[in-house]
Amino acid sequence: MPRFDIPARIIEQPQLAHGIFLLTVKAPAILDSANPGQFCMLEVKYNNSSDPLLRRPLSIYKTRANGQISFLYKEVGKGTRLLSKRRPGEIVRVLGPLGQGFRLIDDRPQCILVGGGLGIAPLLLLAERINQSGKLIILIGAGNASEIPTIEDFSGLTRYFHIATEDGSLGQRGMVTDLLAQTLREITGMAQIYTCGPWPMMKAVYYMARKKNIPCQVSLEAAMACGIGLCLGCAVPKSDSQGFLHVCREGPVFDADQVNWEYSQ
Amino acid sequence: MIHQKNPITQSPNLSIKIGSLVLKNPVLLASGTCGYGTELDGLLDLDQLGGIIVKGISIKPSPGNPPPRLVETPCGLLNSIGLENVGIESFIGDKLPWLRNVKTSLIVNILGNSVEEYAEIAKKLDGAEGVKAIEVNISCPNVKAGGIAFGTDPEAAANVTRAVKKATDLPMIIKLTPNVTDITKVARKVASAGADAISLINTLLGMAIDIKSRRPALANVFGGLSGPAIKPIALRMVWQVVRAVDIPVIGVGGISSPDDALEFLMAGAKAVEIGTATLVRPGTAENVLAGIRDYMEANSIQNVDDLRLPE
Ligand SMILES: Cc1cc2nc3c(=O)[nH]c(=O)nc-3n(C[C@H](O)[C@H](O)[C@H](O)COP(=O)(O)OP(=O)(O)OC[C@H]3O[C@@H](n4cnc5c(N)ncnc54)[C@H](O)[C@@H]3O)c2cc1C
Ligand SMILES: Cc1cc2nc3c(=O)[nH]c(=O)nc-3n(C[C@H](O)[C@H](O)[C@H](O)COP(=O)(O)O)c2cc1C
Ligand code: FES
Repeated sequence: MPRFDIPARIIEQPQLAHGIFLLTVKAPAILDSANPGQFCMLEVKYNNSSDPLLRRPLSIYKTRANGQISFLYKEVGKGTRLLSKRRPGEIVRVLGPLGQGFRLIDDRPQCILVGGGLGIAPLLLLAERINQSGKLIILIGAGNASEIPTIEDFSGLTRYFHIATEDGSLGQRGMVTDLLAQTLREITGMAQIYTCGPWPMMKAVYYMARKKNIPCQVSLEAAMACGIGLCLGCAVPKSDSQGFLHVCREGPVFDADQVNWEYSQ
Repeated sequence: MIHQKNPITQSPNLSIKIGSLVLKNPVLLASGTCGYGTELDGLLDLDQLGGIIVKGISIKPSPGNPPPRLVETPCGLLNSIGLENVGIESFIGDKLPWLRNVKTSLIVNILGNSVEEYAEIAKKLDGAEGVKAIEVNISCPNVKAGGIAFGTDPEAAANVTRAVKKATDLPMIIKLTPNVTDITKVARKVASAGADAISLINTLLGMAIDIKSRRPALANVFGGLSGPAIKPIALRMVWQVVRAVDIPVIGVGGISSPDDALEFLMAGAKAVEIGTATLVRPGTAENVLAGIRDYMEANSIQNVDDLRLPE
């Protein structure tokens, strides 16, 4: 799988809601080999500065035919704050596409995508891909409506689209797992779940899936230094207690039953 | 850096000798930051480099420490990977075949829990086709001596050196830990015990606390500090060791640019290893090499050794 470390020009970076940015860069080489669920490592420091030292991992959110890639991210600390200050025309170094993305399962006519907050980021490309083949059910949850400003990107993709917010500002009041419980009661036949969001949410989704014998793929996060398997820093314990998964190389997408969910981050 | 080029008659000679080992240039990849080489495929042309030092190998495969294993610090990185590696058997069977096709010198970093283990791994590598040298990491805990690292005890360091020397004919580089009060003491000991070269520094012991969760930020509590933050310390120690021993010294610690590397070469290092900088930018080593070449050309310096400052 070819990967590239390239200086990419920023096309635009609007702030969509408080602290949430949609960064679009021109990176045709990366786009050409990108699969749903893959990510990139973005340099956030300026020029030859050494602080912050490390790049930041961000999922590939959206791709366009003209060679543009978008990242949807939240400002949570120093690195994302610096990145958010970047203006159109400036250059940001991007390494990608990285990791193993979602695996499409041919004999699963129903795909259920479960996203929590900005955990929706790696799910859009997947949704677009599935939409061409089978039945797509999208379930999204967040604290409130402003945490998921790009919801329209998803809502147009399928009739089976449901949303829950904890404060009731959008969709049903409650959790995305409430939506999943309803869906699992209604569907019949073979299904596949894909999920990304906060660890406790993914854990709950996995346990619900397991009860119904529905296979579940999860996209995990871990602190990363290199993003390409050099440092072995991005470890997450395996379910069988036999060592660790490496999120950047074997993931970020894993079959949920490979992961030790009782480990707390 | 000086960029103006005064063309000289001959292009500079970048090759260097470390004991019986000839490297085509002085730029190496540091252990633990370049995996087993394959991970860099397509992002860095390994064929261009003087050498690659693969991740520390132990007798048995080891899972390493629990996460979190990484914390970023100002201009630095704290890691507590632990000993995670595939083990010597799998290294020779699964990793070595690919590495044999790379046109650079392969150096294998080894670590053990006892003097006997170091010797055993060295013996296994002795006959392994493709391995050009061994770098002995003596900064991991010596379980038998109650958790003291071999590298902090000059006597223990010398014992490991002698044992590995006996077990293999391969050139042997002893890699020192900076977590000592006098680095020259250990350096002198391992030199007289038969080391062919010394590399330094490994990471500096450090820690960070997450004030939100009110817990140490690394699951292992302590970790090793690397990156630009440690460069002045590494440079000082290289300077000291170069002047304390007669064997070649390889400089490591915070090197991310040609200028950084040149400082180490001027301090008297024969070669440099690029560590954390490869994690940040996979192509760093090639850039460092090109910059050294440019500098030598621009300043009409013929040999790498000539970069060393006069005493
Ligand atoms: C594969 C992958 C994909 C991701 N995709 C997205 C995305 O599409 N959108 C988005 O908003 N965020 C995403 N994240 C999380 C994002 O990388 C972190 O929020 C970001 O690194 C925080 O950096 P900071 O400097 O602002 O925060 P700080 O807290 O100051 O970061 C300090 C250090 O901790 C690391 N770190 C902090 N939080 C996380 C985290 N949650 N996961 C991993 N490392 C972390 C940073 O990389 C940095 O090294 C992803 C993470 C991974 C591993
Ligand atoms: C993630 C990581 C893993 C490392 N693993 C090893 C190792 O297995 N063996 C070893 O001798 N040194 C190891 N080191 C130390 C480096 O080789 C190097 O000595 C140190 O990081 C200082 O150089 P730098 O600042 O250029 O990274 C590791 C360093 C890092 C950051
Ligand atoms: S981040 Fe370095 S190995 Fe995964």
